[in-house]
This record gives sequence, structure tokens and C-alpha cells, in this order.
Amino acid sequence: MKPFEYISTKSINEATQVLSEYKQDARVLAGGTDVLIELRRPHAKIPKAILDISYIESLNGISESDGLIILKPLSTHTQILKSDLVRKYAQLLGIAASQIGAPQIRNRGTVGGNVMNAATCADTVPPLIALDAEITLRSNGGSRTMKLVDFFIKPYKTKAESDDVLIEITFPKLPSNAQSAFIKLGRRNALSISRLSVAAILMQDKKGLISEARIVPGAALPTWMRVKEAEEMLIGEKPSLKLFTAAGQKVSEVMISYTGRRWSTEYKEPVIGVLVRRALEGCVKD
Amino acid sequence: MSTQNQHKIIGKSECRVDAWGKVTGRAKFAEDYNVGHQLWGKVLRAKHPHAKILKIDTSKAEKVAGVEAVLTAKDIPGSKVFGIVVSNQAILAEDKVRYLGDGVALIAAKTEEIADEALSLIEVEYEPLLVVTDPEEAMNPETIKIHGDDNTFVHHKVRKGDVDKGFAEANFILEKKFKTQFVEHSYIEPEAVLAEPAEQGGVRVTGSVQNLFSTRRSTAAALNLPLNKVQIIQATLGGSFGGKDEAMTSMCIRAALLCLKTCKPVKMVNTREESMLESYKRHPYTLYYKWGVKNDGTITAMEIRIIADGGAYASMSPFVTWRSVVQATGPYYCDNVKTDIYAVYTNNNYTGAMRGFGSPQVNFAIESMMDILAEKVGKDPLEIRLQNGFERGAITATGQNLEHNVSLKEVLQKATAEINFQEKWKKYRSEPNTQKKRGIGLACSYRGVSLGAEGTDAVGTIISVQTDGSVIVSSGITDMGQGAQTQMSQIAAEVLGISMDRIQFLNTNTSRVPDSGPTVASRGTIMGGSAAKKAAEIVQATLLTTASEMTGLDVQSLELKDNYLIDIESGQRLASFNELAAECFKKGRPTYGFGWHKSPKTSWDEDHGQGEAYFTWVYGANIAEVEVDTETGKVDVLNFVSCHDVGKAINRGAVLGQIYGGVAMGLGYGLLEEFEIENGIPKQLNFDEYSLPTSMDVPKIKAIVVENEDALGPFGAKSIGEPANELAAPAIINAIYNATGKRIYELPANLERVLLGHKLVRPKERGSVLKEKDIQAAMHRAVYELLPDGTFYAEIPGLQGVYANAKSLEECREQLQEVLEKEVA
Amino acid sequence: MKKIKISTTINSKKYYLDINPNVTLLDLLRDELGLTGTKRGCEIGECGACTVLINGEAVNSCLVLAPQIDGKELLTVEGLMAEGKLHPLQQSFMDHDAVQCGFCTPGMLMSSKALLDENPNPAEEEIRTAISGNLCRCTGYVQIVEAIGKVNK
Repeated sequence: MKPFEYISTKSINEATQVLSEYKQDARVLAGGTDVLIELRRPHAKIPKAILDISYIESLNGISESDGLIILKPLSTHTQILKSDLVRKYAQLLGIAASQIGAPQIRNRGTVGGNVMNAATCADTVPPLIALDAEITLRSNGGSRTMKLVDFFIKPYKTKAESDDVLIEITFPKLPSNAQSAFIKLGRRNALSISRLSVAAILMQDKKGLISEARIVPGAALPTWMRVKEAEEMLIGEKPSLKLFTAAGQKVSEVMISYTGRRWSTEYKEPVIGVLVRRALEGCVKD
Repeated sequence: MSTQNQHKIIGKSECRVDAWGKVTGRAKFAEDYNVGHQLWGKVLRAKHPHAKILKIDTSKAEKVAGVEAVLTAKDIPGSKVFGIVVSNQAILAEDKVRYLGDGVALIAAKTEEIADEALSLIEVEYEPLLVVTDPEEAMNPETIKIHGDDNTFVHHKVRKGDVDKGFAEANFILEKKFKTQFVEHSYIEPEAVLAEPAEQGGVRVTGSVQNLFSTRRSTAAALNLPLNKVQIIQATLGGSFGGKDEAMTSMCIRAALLCLKTCKPVKMVNTREESMLESYKRHPYTLYYKWGVKNDGTITAMEIRIIADGGAYASMSPFVTWRSVVQATGPYYCDNVKTDIYAVYTNNNYTGAMRGFGSPQVNFAIESMMDILAEKVGKDPLEIRLQNGFERGAITATGQNLEHNVSLKEVLQKATAEINFQEKWKKYRSEPNTQKKRGIGLACSYRGVSLGAEGTDAVGTIISVQTDGSVIVSSGITDMGQGAQTQMSQIAAEVLGISMDRIQFLNTNTSRVPDSGPTVASRGTIMGGSAAKKAAEIVQATLLTTASEMTGLDVQSLELKDNYLIDIESGQRLASFNELAAECFKKGRPTYGFGWHKSPKTSWDEDHGQGEAYFTWVYGANIAEVEVDTETGKVDVLNFVSCHDVGKAINRGAVLGQIYGGVAMGLGYGLLEEFEIENGIPKQLNFDEYSLPTSMDVPKIKAIVVENEDALGPFGAKSIGEPANELAAPAIINAIYNATGKRIYELPANLERVLLGHKLVRPKERGSVLKEKDIQAAMHRAVYELLPDGTFYAEIPGLQGVYANAKSLEECREQLQEVLEKEVA
Repeated sequence: MKKIKISTTINSKKYYLDINPNVTLLDLLRDELGLTGTKRGCEIGECGACTVLINGEAVNSCLVLAPQIDGKELLTVEGLMAEGKLHPLQQSFMDHDAVQCGFCTPGMLMSSKALLDENPNPAEEEIRTAISGNLCRCTGYVQIVEAIGKVNK
């Protein structure tokens, strides 16, 4: 690695100060599972400074407050998959975290890093968008909160400014009538990169009709979004194989409307539909 | 000779002699060797897969502070090329580069960083040539030549009977085409060496080298030194699988050149990316199989044509394809055979030895054909194999009479019984189509042991009993992790009647043991072990003679057992092994034995493709039980049975380890692994993209070890390393067919092939315009944007005027690349 | 480039180091501290050969920036032996033929140490998950899984 300055801090204020000073010349380091790979590349852009935020304790932990789950960005994938709160109120997020890389990656990689790095195959992002997560960014100028779904512009590009620090991810607990699922398709059963994935949440009313549906595909669209066209088909309906298959087909159509037909479409077109159907089926299990 | 049940150490799962060092982290692998004042050696590699070199300017690099040597081909004092069969591989490319892994210049510098900086300052002017990537296209006389005047550099054949007559006798013809892929060895340890100036001139290289003697020959020739001035020492080897042969030869020579130039130690270590870029792979084969068959399932004719992609250099292709041609019909009776195999040059990575050595490819075709045949004549996979399979006395396609115990049917029966094969096979094929479908598949093979008629086959092993009764063993056979040192130690311990803890095995050093050829072809145990046995018997004779004098008893009435000298009749311990060793020293007798074992005769007539190809053969059968996700193409292997006749298991645990590991590697071959090269540019250079099976992909494996002792092996032992690896893929492919009714003709059976029946192929770029690495790097930096109008916009930060706009992301990417290429040009 | 002062504990030994910040923990261990038991296989966190424990958790040392071990407690393969005796895991790997070329072994041992410290009697699936970030090309994992499963049995 080419030389750089290393700055470590234990306070958020200090972190935002450093960033406001260095702007694009600083790179934030947390778990390192993305940053170190990037720095090692032969043609890597080496920043002037690495700002290590991993020692900021207030950026770590998973808690609840007023019906919200508060997920601090330094929470590792291991912390998420072991969290009782996640298991109880955001099951799909725990499933996604448990399928990332391997234990060594899960022990270091953080949810904040997953969000800020914005790689197409970031596995915690589809569940978080399905959970209607909001994020709070802080810079020297103050804090701002936005929907996670609005945060991403395109792969590896977000609305974060160079002096922003992600300080919190929050989402409402899923109510007791909600069920969720996350399905990841990779080439192997560990250390795999998502070929495609789907996060889904369904809520049913007392009559068993679907009252709310959220579907977020991963590694399929130019950026993450809920596929409203498919979700709307489900509202007010009774769960059925036919319905879920149709919703899957709709997601597939929407995907192609965004990406156009390309060389990989022949595979992704049928399979994204299948994964959506399976995710929805996973949401109506007893 | 003791009989089977009386063995003390043979057949037991004795702890490996190298295990302690490996679990404590003290074992020294090549990269772990460091000495004071060592320099870092680095290689500048080709910028194009095929190009003339017009000029190399190293002047800027030489001026960098801390650079101690910059070398190009002109600085090589001796032979500028190497190659075990065909000597045409450039140590450093002089006039032409033939694939992206070619080295062009070398740097030795005080640190790695300085070396990297200096590399970037070497200017090489190229004239790009057309890039040849398709071996069948390479065979076309019109195609540009990579070496000499013909891209086809090997043609082996086998001729038996009359295929025309055979096809005329047939009721129907089966004709199929199969394709296999490039496979990376994927030893987890990347290549490394440390070259040091030797005390009396010459050089000493310690490294991750599989085949020390061929490396020494090539290094000495390049340096213009006699063999005794070049010492190659094997560091503990972190896996090889056939891979650390020529790839290490070039590294050893390069490090030695820099070392002699600077008179300082030089260390060279490949990153994983450098390793995958430069190293040779398992050959991709295109196989055309045409069988004439009778309605009852008898095979009347086999006509086989195979094209192997040899890549940029000959390497082991002549030998790899020879094994293929010998084994191309499988262990099945057929009177009329015509087989032709060709190896051709392309600008892809060169291909060479990899565990299996030409058998995984043909076994995939043969065992697929066998199942296709079974289906056609309404038999099950076991029936058809039992009907056509070899028995003792069978005459192979090359005219060899199999006079040993041909246990093909035994391994087939044992494997199938273990898992209820026939019942499951019938059940799965008739189950209705569901999301997840199970299937079971069978494959079997025969395999010639050791080098066969490839060449001279002899090995030396040395045993030296110390005056305190401890023992030192060394051999020309190397341990790469397969356990050769342990097997040879066990044989020595068995003969000398001592426990394993007395033995210290030395890593191979070319200056201290005789040239024993390469450690390849699963010959470690059968050849090295036989030599160890002979060496131990020499020492045993000395010990017993001395013991007889010591005790006044007959040599015949004495034996060495449990670290003691024993009176056979009374069972009484007469002296400890230590005392006996000390006594020999006192009497001035050498407790040193040198065992030399030469293989029995083999023969080959290249013109007619006939001969006694191998002195003995092994037999194996594999069964895979899979679950196929019929909606995504994902295949999981649930159960696996691997049954092999090993002759005699010297070390049971090690034999099982070879079987398990071989199956896992075969699973990767069948389902996951593919080293893709596009236009001469490899697409996977690290383990993020090249997918090896993980602990969650490899199933429980039931290993069945059959032991039909072979008179030609030590204590009856034959081999297992490669047989274990050559059958898993076809068993899995046959299982997928059993589940889905769809046959896979190209490996690997990845998601797309299983679901769609074919691989997804990116649209081919125009002509042979070369993508420079810089273009690739710039493309990595490209940013894409989805515009409000739904089209994509792409640009590369810092490169003004390089942008693209298209309807789809992929189109956008291609457009961007075109613009970039024009800009660079 | 400014050097960074850190204090850390490696294999129960306290270290006060003055380090360049632009090196990975893997390089620090191997090149600066001579702890070459930790192996370099891919440098992108895919092979697990460089696995060490930081505060008891298995991590790829190639993906940790050296200064990030300040104040942490590390264990490498060299620290597994205690008072000249093999750790039960090491013994079990030897007893169950779980070692072939040995290059993945240090990483495997560290991943399974982390597992057993948390879960002394893991089920086979848990073992396979725990070592899923450690690639082995020799063994097919079978005897490794067996060796780990039998440590506390």
C-alpha cells in the first residue's frame, strides 16, 4: 500500500471535523473489509488520510426505542445475526447478515460500511429498504435524516457528502402480523457474492388478506428500490402460489424495463421471478 | 515377509511426520524464509497476449535508488528457454510475447515498493499480433503461428481393429461433443523462492518447488553452470497438485539470475493475482465421441477425436495428452478403436500437469457416453458398466493384457451397494418435476499407475540410522501435502521394526539425493515407497548381521520389532534398537542404506498407438447424490461414495484424506470452477471470482478402500492421489441428468448451464483489438448513471471526453470501452 | 508518513510498537514480528489462511489495518501451545489426519478455536459454518470437521 496518514478518533465530532478538513482526501475506515481490498488494487486511488472510526463507541450497538430499532453503523454482521431484537423484529435482516461472506468477514464487516460503500451486491441493503429504514448522517454543519431508499444514486454512489459520517440507521419494528424473508442466490454456499437476492415483507389482516407488501430485489436493478408495481398486485389478496408467481413475473418485467435486455437477462429474467415467489412464500409460513 | 495381519505400522493411520510443524505454525513454507540483506525480485509481465517486442528500455528503471539489477533476456548467460519435453518457453520474452503471463524484464531492489516503482518505469514497445484463443481455429493452416510453422504440436493416436467394420456391425451410432474448461490448481500457498549465492560459486534456491530435478536442470542451463553448482531445496510445500512445476522453474531461474547478478540473496513471491495470471492450468478439451453400439448394449466401435488447448507453451501437453489417448476408451471392451488427440498452441495461459493429468477430461466424456448408452438400450448405469467393463485378462485399446487383479466390477459393486444406487436411480428418474429434484449418478475408471511409457521411471531413497538409534530418511520424491514422507517413513519403520517417532524426514535437496524424476503421476508411494523398502532392507541386513555376531544366534532366528532386537522363538528382547545401532558404529559398519527402485518395463509404439502403456492399473467408482434446484440451476451434492482399489493402504488416514480431497476438487471441476480467458485476458485472478468449494459445499463423503495387493508395489500398495480426483465430475453430471433429464455437455455445470443448458456469453468484441490492462483499469473506475430519461450515462473521472450514453447499462459499458480504446490509441 | 504508536497484546505478550500505518496486520505479524505461522494466501479475505483472533473473534488479518489492533488482544497460531503442550485442537488435528499440505491449517485452527471457545460442543453444521471462510484444497474438509468435532468428546 502507498503511504497515507492514519487518523483515529473516539468522537463523532472529531471525525466530522477531520472530514470537513480533508474532504475527498480522506477515506473512512470501519471494519476494513471493503476499504483494504480497494487500497490494495494496483491502480487504487490512495487517499491522503485514513480516518479510522472503529474506536467510536457511540457508533456501535443495536437497541430499541419507541417502536424503533436503532442500528448503529459499526454493528458488525455477526452482531446483527446474533441480535435478539433483529430476530424478533427484523428477521430478514438477520438472515441476510448470516449469509454474508464467512465468519471472518461477518466479524469485521459493518452494516454502516455495507450502506456507505453501496456495492450492488450489499446484502443488508435490500432488507433495510424493505424495513423502511432511515439513516442519519452528520457533518460539521449538522445532522440530516433521510430514507435509505433515497440515499443511493447508483452503484458505489450515494448522496453522502465527503464530510458526512453515518451515525444511525433506524427502522420501525415489524408488527406481529408481519412476516419477512430474504433469499440469496450465490454460486456456492459460503463466501459467495449475490448473483441475485430478494427481501420481502408481508402483513396480513385478520381475514388473512395481504394488507401490506414490500419487495426489494438485490443485484438486479441499477439501484435498490421497492417494486411497487408488484407490491400493489398483492394488496387485498389472499396469498396463493398463482398470486406470488404473478408478482414474481411483474418484478422480472420491471427489472428488464430498467436494465434492458442484455447478455445476462436470459438467466436473470426467470430466476428473479422465482426468488420473489419463494420469498413471498417464505412470508406466509406458519 | 510378514503377512498382512502382522504389520505393525503399515496400514495404520500413523500421524504424519510433518504434522507437528504444521499445527504449531513452525513449518517453514517458502515465503517464511528470510535472510539479511535480501533483495526483492519482481517480474514485468506482458502487456499483450500476443505481440512482437520492438524495444525494451530499462534506463529509467535502472536509475531508481535502491534498484540493484534490471535484467532482460539478453542478460541470460545460458539457455534462454526451458521446457521438459519441448524446450520453447522463454525465461524472459525476447522477441515475442505469447500470453499475458510472459515475463519481459526482472528487477531486484531493496524493497518491494522500490521494485514495483522501477517496474512501472520500464518501457516496452510492442507490435500487437492477432490473438489466437480458439484451439480449433488455431489448427487452421491460415491462422497466425505462435511457434514455428504449425500450431498443432502433438498428435497421439491409438489404432485397434477396424472402426469402419465396427460401425457397420452396429445397430446404431451415438455421437456427442463434450467440452471442458481451464482449471486453476488453486494451491492455497502462492509461489515463492529465496535464491542465495552459494559458498563455492553457483546458487542455492529454497522454494515451493514440486519437481526439483527438472527445475535444477533448467536453472543450471540458464546460468551456464554444472548441475553440482545449483542446489534446489524444497521448502514445505503448501499444495501443488501438479501446479508448481514449470511455474516454479521460471521463478527459480529468474531469482537465480538476479542473485548471481547482484551477489545477494533475492526473494521472489507471487501475489495471488500474479500466480493466477502466470501459472499454467488444466487443459480445456473439446472431445468428439462416436460409438457404434448394438441393441444389447455391446460397443462395436469407438472413434474419438480430441483437441487440447495447450496455450502458449508445450509444457506437459505431450504427456498429458498421451495419458488421455491411452485411457480415452475407459475400462470397456471394444474391438475397434480409433483415437486421435491433438494439442495446439494458442495465446491462452499454457496448460500442463494437474492432478488427473489428462484423465478428468476424458472420464467426463466416457462416463457421460456410458450413461447415454444405458438410457438408449434401456439398462441402468450399473448394468451397462458391468456388461462392458474389463475383467482380468482384458486386452485394452492399446493392446495391453491386464494380467493383475482387475477390480473394476468389485469397486462398482461395493460403491453401488453402499448407497442403494439402483433403487435410488430408478426412483429419482420417475419422480415428478418439482422445484428441488434429487438425482444419483455413477462413474468409474481405470488408470495407469506412475509414469508409464512416458519415460524413465526410477527413484532413490536414503535411510541413515544414527548412533543413538534415531533415523534420518530422505528421498528424491517430494511431499506436497499428500503425505509421501509419512508413507516412506512408515515403510522404513515397518522394515526396521521401529516406531515412527524415531524418524526425521528431510525435505528434498537436489544436491543430497539422486535425480529421481518428478513427483507426479501418483508415483510417490509405489516408487518412493519401493525405494524406501529397499534402503531399509539394506540397513536391516547390516543390523541383523551385527546382532547375530552380538548374540551368537542365527540371523534367521532374529527379528527387529517394537524398537528391540527379538529372539523369534522365545520372543525375548535381546537388545534395544539403540544398543544395536551403537554396536554397528563400534564395529565400523555403515547403518546407511540407499534404495533405488526402477519400475518394471513398459512399451509404446507411437506410430500404431499400441503398447504396454503402464506396468499396473488402479480401479475406482464414484457415486454422487445431488439435489438440483430446477428453477435456479443450483446443484447441491448431498452424499458421495468414493470407492478405490489402492492395492494396499500404507497409511489409512492419508488414503482417506486423498479420497476426500480428490472428491472435493472434482466437485469444483464439475460444478463451480472455470478459469475464463477472453481475448487472451484472464477474467478471474483471485479467489473472490474463482470459486473453490467451501466447507459448506462439500458433502459428507463415504470412502471405501479396497485392497487387492499388487505384487509390483511396496507391501502391495499402488496409488490414490489422482484416481481420487478423476471421477467426481462425471458422477455429478450423471446425477444431474438422473434428476432433471437434461444432460450437461460442458463443464462446469454452473447455474446457467443447468437452468438454460448453456453458458451465458458476453457478446464478442470486434476482431482482435487488444484491451490493454490500462483500459481495464480505467474501466474499473468508470461511473455509470441512470438518467431521468431512463438511459445510462457513463464516464471515467479524470478522462475528459470519454463518455457514453446508451439504453442499457451493458451497451453503455461497451460503448465506453470503444471510446476509451480509441482515446488510448 | 507519520508512524503510529500502538500497544497490543499478542499471544499473551505485551507489545509497544511504532508502526507505519499503511501495512496490514498480516504484514505486521509476518514481516515485522516474525510470526510467520499466519499465512498469506489471497490478501482479499477470501481464503482465510491469515485468520487470527482479535479479542476472541476470528478475522482475516489481511483485511485489518495494523493500527487497528491498538488496545486489542490477539492470538495467532504460535500462541496456541501452552507450557510446551499442544492445544487440544492441535492434537486433534494431528490425531484425525486433518493436516495435509498444512498451509490452511493455522487459519483453520484459529477459526475453530473461536468456535469452540463459544460453543464447546458444536454440531457438524456449526463446524462447517465456522470454517466456511477457510479454503482448503487438499482435504475436502472431512477430517478437519471430524477433528474439530472430537476435541471435547
